[in-house]
Amino acid sequence: MECVVQGIIETQHVEALEILLQGLCGVPRERLRVHELCLKSGPNLGVVSSEVRLLCDLDQPEPTWSVKHVGGAMRGAGADQISVMVRTMIESKVSKNALRMFYALGYKLDHELLKVGFSFHFQRTAHMSVSVSSVNKMPKIHAIDEAVPVTPGMQIVDVTAPATPENYSEVAAAVSSFCEFLAPLVHLSKPFISTGVVPTAAAAAASLMSDGGGTATL
Amino acid sequence: MPVKWVLYWQPNQGSTVSSQILNEATQCVESINGVKEGRWKATLIYYKPMLRDQANQAEFPRDFLGISLADQPSKYYFIIRSQRIVLESDSSIQLIMEKLQSYKSKVALYFEGFQYQLGDFRLRVGKVVPTHSENVRGIVMEGMELFAFGADSYSHLVVILDAIYDVEYLPISSMEKSRKVMEEFLEIWHEALFKRSLPGKFVNTELNFGEFGLGDSYTPQHTAVRYALVMAHMIATVQAVRG
Repeated sequence: MECVVQGIIETQHVEALEILLQGLCGVPRERLRVHELCLKSGPNLGVVSSEVRLLCDLDQPEPTWSVKHVGGAMRGAGADQISVMVRTMIESKVSKNALRMFYALGYKLDHELLKVGFSFHFQRTAHMSVSVSSVNKMPKIHAIDEAVPVTPGMQIVDVTAPATPENYSEVAAAVSSFCEFLAPLVHLSKPFISTGVVPTAAAAAASLMSDGGGTATL
Repeated sequence: MPVKWVLYWQPNQGSTVSSQILNEATQCVESINGVKEGRWKATLIYYKPMLRDQANQAEFPRDFLGISLADQPSKYYFIIRSQRIVLESDSSIQLIMEKLQSYKSKVALYFEGFQYQLGDFRLRVGKVVPTHSENVRGIVMEGMELFAFGADSYSHLVVILDAIYDVEYLPISSMEKSRKVMEEFLEIWHEALFKRSLPGKFVNTELNFGEFGLGDSYTPQHTAVRYALVMAHMIATVQAVRG
């Protein structure tokens, strides 16, 4: 399982966010270029319809593939009380012919995306990953070179951390407290509950850019 | 990685397979100074689609199987032989398949036995049994009775031969270059078995790995394909023996 929060930021403030993250995480940023293919089971296959994502990491000398399954979010009073989403997530590295196999099994391509940006992976109570990316769609199937932004001028920020049924509340707390550091630039909440851009972002970004990051007092 | 060959026991026409043959094969390895190293096990699962309407079964692969190999505990291999697909993945993909609820296990088989070291080679001798063989006398697969197990009979025996060390500086990860030393070793093994006048023989499987997108340099995916092919041969053998 994993803890996850999401938010949006205007592209003009992304550089400031990167400076802030660089200071907070203390690790170099990694480039992010991922081709994501969302597959759905054919009409007759499965007890219920199912969905699986194939991710191709293009920022490698030889692209690497993985299969990802995202399950339902945890529900109930306990889940309502925490500000991050806790959901099941399994990701497996696979050889490059995964798409062919899933087609052979009766899965169909539902949609595909190209995510371009950067990410930070670091340890802060829990192991966390922050990714900032623009989401692009393809005018033609698999045409990643012709991809165009889905929301021009806007990028998505994801913070995720792997968790277990035993430690998810600690991990969720660690993610929440980390999000507070980013609050002046981006508001992070449970996915699919958009809270829009942060009105103070422009001022916070200006302050960060002039300060050079790291020591900013926000 | 070093080349492996997977052989299966082909009984003579009209003969049956019993645990006696497994014992003889094991004794035979010891008679040519094989040093017992311990147990080995591989698991092979045949999957079937979970369909809402059984009428459209033909659209889905009937030969979809998954294999976990003793040497690669963190990996899992899927094979659709009819479409020449072999996929390597982390073993956690089994959890993903469970979550998807689109395919489920139809038959699970263990390959299990002892492994021996003989000079530059490792030899694994074992039987193929359903995971819950104790109470099961027959499992129906593809409409044919495939396995009929009693307490003391095994329908299938396998031998897996690995070259584990470089032999006379031959690059043993190349299938083509290692072929000669593998064949020479098998000759010794066959001679030793021949003296025991067993009602059958261990047969190697020849296949075109290129069709699966695999090259000459040996990988665990080659082994997975070999297991799948050996299973297909064993099924065909049982069907032929039963007429």
